Amino acid sequence: MKFDRRQALTWPSMIMLFLFALLPLVIMLVTSFQSDTTGSFTLENYERFFSNPTYLKLTGKTIVMSLAVTAVSLLIAYPLAYIMAKKLRGMRNIILVLVIIPFFTNQLVRVYSWLIFLQDGGIFNNFLSLFGLFEDGLGLLYTQGAVIIGLTHAFFPYMVVTIYMSLERMDDAMLEASRSLGASKFTTFRRVIFPLSMPGVISGIMIVFVPALGTFVEPRILGGTDGTVIGTVIEDQFFEIAAWNFGAAIAFLLLALVLISMTALNMAGKRWETE
Amino acid sequence: MKSKLVKSVLSCGLAAAMVLSMTACGGTSGDGGSADSGEKTQLYVVNWKDYASDDEELMAAFEEEYNCEIVNTYMDSEEDLLTKLRTGAEGEIDVCLPNCTILPAAIEDGLLEQIDTSKIPNFEQLFARFKEQKECFGEDGNMYAVPFVWGSTAIAYNTEEVTEAPTSMKVLFSEDYKGRIAFRDDYNDAVMAAAIALGQDPNNPSDLDAIKELLIEQKELNRTYWQTGDEFSKLFANDQVSVGLMWSGQSATMKQEGEPIGFVVPEDGGIGWVDNWAIAKSSQHKDLAYAFINYMLGEDVQYDWASSGGPAPANQTAAEKIDPEYAASCAMDEESLNRLYFMEYRTEDVKREWSDLWIEVKGA
Amino acid sequence: MKKQRHILSRIFIILVILFLYVPIFVLMLLGFNESRYNSLPFKFTTQWYEEMIANEALLSAAKNSLLLALVTGIICTVLATLFILGQRYLSRRTSGLFNSIVMMPMSIPWLIMGLSILLMIRSMDFTKNMAFVLAGHVIISLPYALLVLRARMSSLDKSLEEMSASLGAGPLTTFRRVTLPAIAPAMVAGGFLAFMISFDNFAISYFLIPNGVTTLPIEIQTSIKFGFTPEINAISTVIIVFSLVILLIVGIIMRSNLKDMLGGKK
Repeated sequence: MKFDRRQALTWPSMIMLFLFALLPLVIMLVTSFQSDTTGSFTLENYERFFSNPTYLKLTGKTIVMSLAVTAVSLLIAYPLAYIMAKKLRGMRNIILVLVIIPFFTNQLVRVYSWLIFLQDGGIFNNFLSLFGLFEDGLGLLYTQGAVIIGLTHAFFPYMVVTIYMSLERMDDAMLEASRSLGASKFTTFRRVIFPLSMPGVISGIMIVFVPALGTFVEPRILGGTDGTVIGTVIEDQFFEIAAWNFGAAIAFLLLALVLISMTALNMAGKRWETE
Repeated sequence: MKSKLVKSVLSCGLAAAMVLSMTACGGTSGDGGSADSGEKTQLYVVNWKDYASDDEELMAAFEEEYNCEIVNTYMDSEEDLLTKLRTGAEGEIDVCLPNCTILPAAIEDGLLEQIDTSKIPNFEQLFARFKEQKECFGEDGNMYAVPFVWGSTAIAYNTEEVTEAPTSMKVLFSEDYKGRIAFRDDYNDAVMAAAIALGQDPNNPSDLDAIKELLIEQKELNRTYWQTGDEFSKLFANDQVSVGLMWSGQSATMKQEGEPIGFVVPEDGGIGWVDNWAIAKSSQHKDLAYAFINYMLGEDVQYDWASSGGPAPANQTAAEKIDPEYAASCAMDEESLNRLYFMEYRTEDVKREWSDLWIEVKGA
Repeated sequence: MKKQRHILSRIFIILVILFLYVPIFVLMLLGFNESRYNSLPFKFTTQWYEEMIANEALLSAAKNSLLLALVTGIICTVLATLFILGQRYLSRRTSGLFNSIVMMPMSIPWLIMGLSILLMIRSMDFTKNMAFVLAGHVIISLPYALLVLRARMSSLDKSLEEMSASLGAGPLTTFRRVTLPAIAPAMVAGGFLAFMISFDNFAISYFLIPNGVTTLPIEIQTSIKFGFTPEINAISTVIIVFSLVILLIVGIIMRSNLKDMLGGKK
């Protein structure tokens, strides 16, 4: 194939990505194989991670937490997107605007607001006590539940957008056809609508699950004594005890986890397309 | 070839960044309106937030006398300061405030300038023990830092709920206040507090397994682990906790704000710390840095800050001026001082061991 | 029967919107509450707004964030436009490869992106400076700008450009007269999204910011750590109102529907 000079237009972006994304990741990988004490090549950082059950346990906990956040997000986002695309179409632009406005508030401030809202004797608690509920305090703050609420709140709007896009693109004529062939509404949904919206669902899962794995701010603020996840461990290694190499190793394992889940999701997506 | 590419792209970025920072600076000096505001020397200080050097009233006299402006950068932790010193650009830091746990590391890495105490006249007024504090000296016997303030991490309690001052660190590990305890999320304080409760030497604990076990048992007694002073003060103000591991200085501030808070160094001991001023090796304003340190050690600043909710002064003359009753209530008195175990330098191995222990406790 | 279901839909929407807005209302409300510790009961005051206006550190952090986000937005728009224009001339395989590289930062936690750049700075003995912060912001915002642009470009006909070229117009003229007008709205929308991503970014700035400089998210985090006053609520409220106004203006100028601004098709 002949080289087209116009291809060079892509180079500035590629150079940026090479210098500030690929190169740093390679350096991080190299760093993770250096000893924190002597600086020579070693596997000790990875050994240390895998030989201590606590790290594995925390990794497991992080995955479970991210799955929970993804599941709750899906339960909120799918019906919402469905209603916007198929039911209350007249309102969809308003709903869409309402869903994105919170993006304009700083993420940290939103987390902090949850803290104030959820605490015992706080606004939510006061509100519930009006009905005689949880007068002793609801004990929700500083638990995993609070972290999941905070993270779901931060991420589910992205999922609404991706699912909405895929539902929106769907051809209504096809749904009509399905119905006129005698399929019930539920069957139409199960056999036609849901499979066709899968690409949106899968990118929605990705857009929630991946950042949830790497989160370190929300668990710390909302999780109390239960707020340690793999992200906070990484942050501590860098900022509390300056164990850069061990920190790099954990970060790299987290990256591997992300890549594995992405590949799995991509494969799942492909299967849906071919079916 | 690769490095050439790196350089050319970086220089493009740098150019953009310069435009950025120039406009940013232009903005700040612009609101003064006068032309000479841009000519003021800037002294770059790395310090904790709300820790004297960012108090406009306290610093006004200094800024005026030396026609300079103090630019504060806040540190997150002692390690963060060490990182800032290691990665900061030439002249980006003039003065900083390390404590004893990292001082020897900073000295050994050559990050700090040797201190000539003859340029700090107020040094003479310090308590004798602070003039000789071993962590301030390098292996060459020279001095690299000057003590500024000291304080303790011990027990703060709500005087309305806890009528008698706790006498032992064990109160933080007892069922009595289940769900109303705020322990600190810090590996050093956690290990030291547990060691005190177990009767071990907090600076050289003999049985780390017992400490770990105790901390894991203690975990569910907590309302939460607090990380920042602000978090603690909100928990306290909103009546979420009754007792907690806390700093003397902040308890004093909260008391002055009218909170029903008491602070005590229990009989079995508390954790002591000393914050020291040091000059960064790459500082471009060393004379001004000396003047700054001298000012901060001065009787007036030390007295004013300590009596308005700051930590205890290292300056003896200032300390003697403070109302004894107030001093006792914030554990600035001699009796409390003698009960403290002052934090010592920790080697990388010890840090790693303790931090692993703490992660295991938190992950349990 | 049909009506009833719509009622259920409406209730569902109201509940979700309520969940979404709870923290934002709390935030706005407490910006007018007297207690420094956000304690109840509520007492009205405008004190925090007054203090915010007098708080130079906070305002200069906001200014830095604004500037950083603006430069990031502009760079991302240019890079994304060039990339998409050039990508059409790549072979299918190269195009796919390049695309997955450029989109990569979207699927890597920002914690890792920030840390890896920090490690690079350290291992090459550079010092932290704003150029790295800017580069980091560009890298993570670029995929979003690209998404928006691509949604629009797929409808741009290559044959139109070719026709223009065959009529004797130079490549620059073609770009100026044919391509640019067609994609300008998407460029603005993409730049706007990149601006928003950068403006709100904490993780990248947190790891890379040089000593003595702050951005708004960093200042907010410092406050959360060391002394959160309702001034933060006040400035957040101002930002929401301000962004709504911008959103409205951009929306009116572009007359493009919201889908484009959100990121278009994925």
